[in-house]
Amino acid sequence: MKKFLAVMMALAMIVALLPAALADEALEPITVTVFRGDPGDQPTDDNKIYKLIEDEFGIKFEIEFLAGDLDETLGLKIANEDYPDLFDGGNSAELIENAGALIDLLPYITEEGTPNLYKHIYTDNRVQQLLHDGKLYIIPNYGINYNGKIDNAPNGPMFFIQKQVIAWNNYKVPTTLNEYFDLLDAFIAENPTNKDGNPYIGFAFPVEDWRRFGLINPVQHLMGRPNDGEVIIDVTTDDYATTTFINQSYAKDYYKKLNEEFNKGTISRDTFVWNYDQYIAALSTGTVLGAFDQGWNHGTAMDALKTAKMDENTFLGIPLVYDESYGYGKIEEHYVNGTVMNKDRGFGISVNCQYPERMINLFENLLSDKWQKILQWGIEGEDYYVEDGRMLMTKEQYDQRSDAAWKKANMALTIWESAPKKQGLMDDGNAWAPGDQAEMYFGMMTEYDVNFLENCGVRVPGDFFDKTLELAPYGEAWQIDKAPIDIDYQDFLTIQDQTLPQVIMADPAEFDAKWDAFVEAINPSCEVYSNFMHEEVLKLVKQALGE
Amino acid sequence: MTARAGKTVLKPVRKKGFWKTLWGQKQLMIMSVPMLLYVLLFNYGPMWGWITAFQDFTPKRGLAESPFVGWANFQWLFSRPDFIRSIRNTLAMSVINLVFGTVSSILLAVLLNEVRNKTFKKTVQTVTYLPHFLSMVIVVGMAQNIFASNGPINKLLQGIGIIKQPVFWLGEGQHFWWLVGVINVWKEVGWNTIIYIAAMTAIDPSLYEAAAIDGAGRFQRILHVTLPGIKSTFMVLLIMNIGHLMEAGFEIQYLMGNGLVQDFSETIDVFVMKYGISKQKYSYATAAGMFKSVVAIVLLLGANFIAKKLDEDTLI
Repeated sequence: MKKFLAVMMALAMIVALLPAALADEALEPITVTVFRGDPGDQPTDDNKIYKLIEDEFGIKFEIEFLAGDLDETLGLKIANEDYPDLFDGGNSAELIENAGALIDLLPYITEEGTPNLYKHIYTDNRVQQLLHDGKLYIIPNYGINYNGKIDNAPNGPMFFIQKQVIAWNNYKVPTTLNEYFDLLDAFIAENPTNKDGNPYIGFAFPVEDWRRFGLINPVQHLMGRPNDGEVIIDVTTDDYATTTFINQSYAKDYYKKLNEEFNKGTISRDTFVWNYDQYIAALSTGTVLGAFDQGWNHGTAMDALKTAKMDENTFLGIPLVYDESYGYGKIEEHYVNGTVMNKDRGFGISVNCQYPERMINLFENLLSDKWQKILQWGIEGEDYYVEDGRMLMTKEQYDQRSDAAWKKANMALTIWESAPKKQGLMDDGNAWAPGDQAEMYFGMMTEYDVNFLENCGVRVPGDFFDKTLELAPYGEAWQIDKAPIDIDYQDFLTIQDQTLPQVIMADPAEFDAKWDAFVEAINPSCEVYSNFMHEEVLKLVKQALGE
Repeated sequence: MTARAGKTVLKPVRKKGFWKTLWGQKQLMIMSVPMLLYVLLFNYGPMWGWITAFQDFTPKRGLAESPFVGWANFQWLFSRPDFIRSIRNTLAMSVINLVFGTVSSILLAVLLNEVRNKTFKKTVQTVTYLPHFLSMVIVVGMAQNIFASNGPINKLLQGIGIIKQPVFWLGEGQHFWWLVGVINVWKEVGWNTIIYIAAMTAIDPSLYEAAAIDGAGRFQRILHVTLPGIKSTFMVLLIMNIGHLMEAGFEIQYLMGNGLVQDFSETIDVFVMKYGISKQKYSYATAAGMFKSVVAIVLLLGANFIAKKLDEDTLI
């Protein structure tokens, strides 16, 4: 009996070891550590998409989400060289690139070895825009479109106004700054409070920390330029003249307007001390009528309003410019650029990763049509269905995609969001992202929104914007890494953080003096900053033109 | 111990040898080894990282490769008006915290000490020290609502006619230090009281009886028995707190600060965070931290020295 047992044990061992010995080395199961520079929810252990990935590639993920401040978290990781295998540095990925935390991906991407990735980044010579000193650290997570870009609802920087105000205005949508504030003032004059008796706040914007774009970015858009961060770049000149706008007279126009509105009571001074949570809380009550913000920055507030069936309080994003009375001639709006690659955002592979080839191989395979459908749409028959070649979801299937608990178990969100992905249209005309599929977009709009847009005379919110505008060769200048001048940049921002609110809250009689003092204080750092940006822009242009 | 000149030379008392004393106290020594290790490992060990204060350190180059730059980092620090301001803010808020904190907790302790109703005393004590356990994030969140333009404080002050227009508490720099002081008192007063109440219970009751017989009223008993009774506790705490003067806190300033009040809200710790961690200027941050430690040591020794001169109880 003992002997028999021993033989059986030996046999069992051999049987157990055989597959491992025979299997491709690439399938040896591994656990990959992942950091994502955004907060998020851990997927469930039996998440169905992660399970598919594990079955096919033998890769399990151990994901760490951002908790707390991004720069500080990354700073600590860098100081300790504690890098995960797949490293998504979120909005501050420059820090990890500069710290040497990521490997160069370029040598791994070849036409034969990784055709999907090769096509992904070499089409239209995209790779030229992505390189840092000839090295590719991160393949963009968003902004690489196939068969054109779909933009039903631009989500970037713009002015926002509550839909009820537009409806009150007989669905006439303002197009200039003056029209916008006139409308807000007129609305408040007639409706000082909402139906619960809470007073309306006319206009607000986020100011906390890096979200200060709400305070310091609008001027470039009013002048008809896209989001280039804190500079205006003259693309009509050969040398891309680059200048900060905050110290210019056309910035004074905007802040003078804000000063007037502040003194009328349209802007609350609490705006300047709200942190992000308080800002979102204010928006979620539906008492803030207008804002300058980026669409993605207040999605939670809009969701809250929709859930509360307060559709008329949700925002409509619109492009505003200075009217001709400001003396800058007729300005054409340019809020939305053509395709913008989300440069330096997404997964990089860290120098600590022991399996770079397998990671590249994973990205390559996930970029295949089959896996892109799984990641973006889910499993056919479970998460979506196909009718006459069109990929569709029932209302239930679509709704569950905004259910946090369902997502944890049924979507590989982290991988979907941070890994290279296809956007735009599939070759068969279906959209890569379910939200971009025309039938779905309209099917999922609330009745209020359908009627609202119809009354405004447009099909989708994106129709308010000119979407035919081309992206400048340098991309969008806000993406430029300011690390080489970070202290000067900090000073540049600190002065604005502190002084702009004081300028806006000034007594009208003192406005000019305060503004002049502000310009004088900020001029030195403006000069450093615009010179630096100019050089970087020229470098990028050179790179993009392949010189 | 030593003989005076011109007198009979006394045999000096034999001093026990160091090793003998050590051996004699071997149990104590063994017990203190873990603490010693802890201090060496976690307090003295990391100190060699101070070397980065004299380097142009980047993580890419590492400690060995980063070039030495002498005092350049310190020169940079003191050329920054915001660093100078952060020192001022740190000291100002510390002093406010120290004064407010000490006065309020002694006052509360004295009052509680006079209360004869046990249940009432216990309830007040519990209620006042519970906020100590709240996270600063929550406390600041509450404060931001309470001090908002249309918050309860403004409404109250307007209601009783002290102010006409709401005060912009959170957006005007001159209020910031005092708000921090008030919030800290609210949060810590009960907790800080505990140690004074403990000291008061140690006062011999016969002193009170004697004072009463001598005709001292309640107020006089507080003045002449209670307060002198906690003097040594007070001095020890004072010296310890002076050693902590350079630590005005970090969380409250970090959470409650904003663009408008940054000239008054940034402490050295916030400064270190801003440049050191967020901007990866580790060398600047280390230099600032080192400066802070040196000043703290000087303050501590200074306070101790003065206490000694005044012939009070000292800490070291």
